Amino acid sequence: MRILVVYSHPVPESFCAAVRDTVVQTLERNGHQVDLMDLYAEGFDPVMPAEERRHYNEMKLADHPFPDHADRLRAAEGLLFVYPTWWYGLPAMLKGWLDRVWTPDLTFRIPDGPGPIEPLMTHVKLLGVITTCGAPRWWSYMVGHPGKRTILRGMRALCAKTCRRVFLAHYMMDKSTPRTRSDYLKRVEERLSNI
Amino acid sequence: MRVLVVHAHPVETSFNASLFRMTLDRLEANGHAVDPVDLYADGFNPVMSRDERLNYHDTGINRRPVETYVERLLLAEALVLVYPVWNYGFPAILKGWFDRVFLPGVSFGLVNGKVRPTLHNIGSILVVTSYGGSRFRTWLMGDPPRRIANRMLRATIRPGGRVTYLAHYEMNLSTTHTRQAFMTRVKHALDKI
Repeated sequence: MRILVVYSHPVPESFCAAVRDTVVQTLERNGHQVDLMDLYAEGFDPVMPAEERRHYNEMKLADHPFPDHADRLRAAEGLLFVYPTWWYGLPAMLKGWLDRVWTPDLTFRIPDGPGPIEPLMTHVKLLGVITTCGAPRWWSYMVGHPGKRTILRGMRALCAKTCRRVFLAHYMMDKSTPRTRSDYLKRVEERLSNI
Repeated sequence: MRVLVVHAHPVETSFNASLFRMTLDRLEANGHAVDPVDLYADGFNPVMSRDERLNYHDTGINRRPVETYVERLLLAEALVLVYPVWNYGFPAILKGWFDRVFLPGVSFGLVNGKVRPTLHNIGSILVVTSYGGSRFRTWLMGDPPRRIANRMLRATIRPGGRVTYLAHYEMNLSTTHTRQAFMTRVKHALDKI
């Protein structure tokens, strides 16, 4: 499967980088084609400017502000997001990537009248969130995992009807130990060997 | 009362921007000390840098890159957020304001790895927002921004503080009538601050 891994963390030596490496290595070992997108390394600008917002609803694929990202998204059969959960959601960097790259005419079509939008990402059959959270599991469920919902429900609605979901989280990162971290990497490896 | 009003929309002629201006006018007319933060006009950078992430838990220095925003947040007695929902969440520029300004030692403390909210200077929050999707579709998705306001923000401010969430859904199908009706709801909510 062709899998786009979208990674967003500012610190190259972070645990999240180790998670990313485990993800990429596991996928490659299992014969998948991996395309890694490192938003911080690219210096992606997540702030949608006024001009882009003005034309957003009428935007055509030919006018996409990031043609390279659009092509890579169109080529993906699987999409995995690797990021730290900040304030129960996506880092601004990753949120802005969704805002600016998941445009009309690429990921969905806005109908002329009432009715739901038409999904265009039906080539995506696997969607995953692999994250680290400061909060404990019970409180993350209380708040409702907004980041997970944004991707695994909101974005999934634009993917194939049968699109499978993967969700993995290391909770309470501030109390993590070498043991909990290596256990988490093992969980990531086991889960992704099985997709 | 001192009210911090945070706005995040790039287009000055948008409905959202007019909600922001109306909010400022109404609060001033009601005698409040209003502190407007227009993140786009400020050119706010929402991207947490490597240094910021590394110093995140060092409460002596972590607020330096965003000091003025921290000061204004800590002076506020009420917080009003005016922004559009994009992709079931905050626009990146506003998400980054939370990421970079709601720091340990500012909005919460960590005691034995457990979060203790500390933004007790704020007694009420009003969220004024607009969605492209319908309320039903958004509800199916779990309405992440509503949860953030009602659960995360409510837990962060003074215990017992009030959180009011006002949303205009289906903006693409909005009419002058729906927009005016929404503005009236917002005015009533502003008058209760």
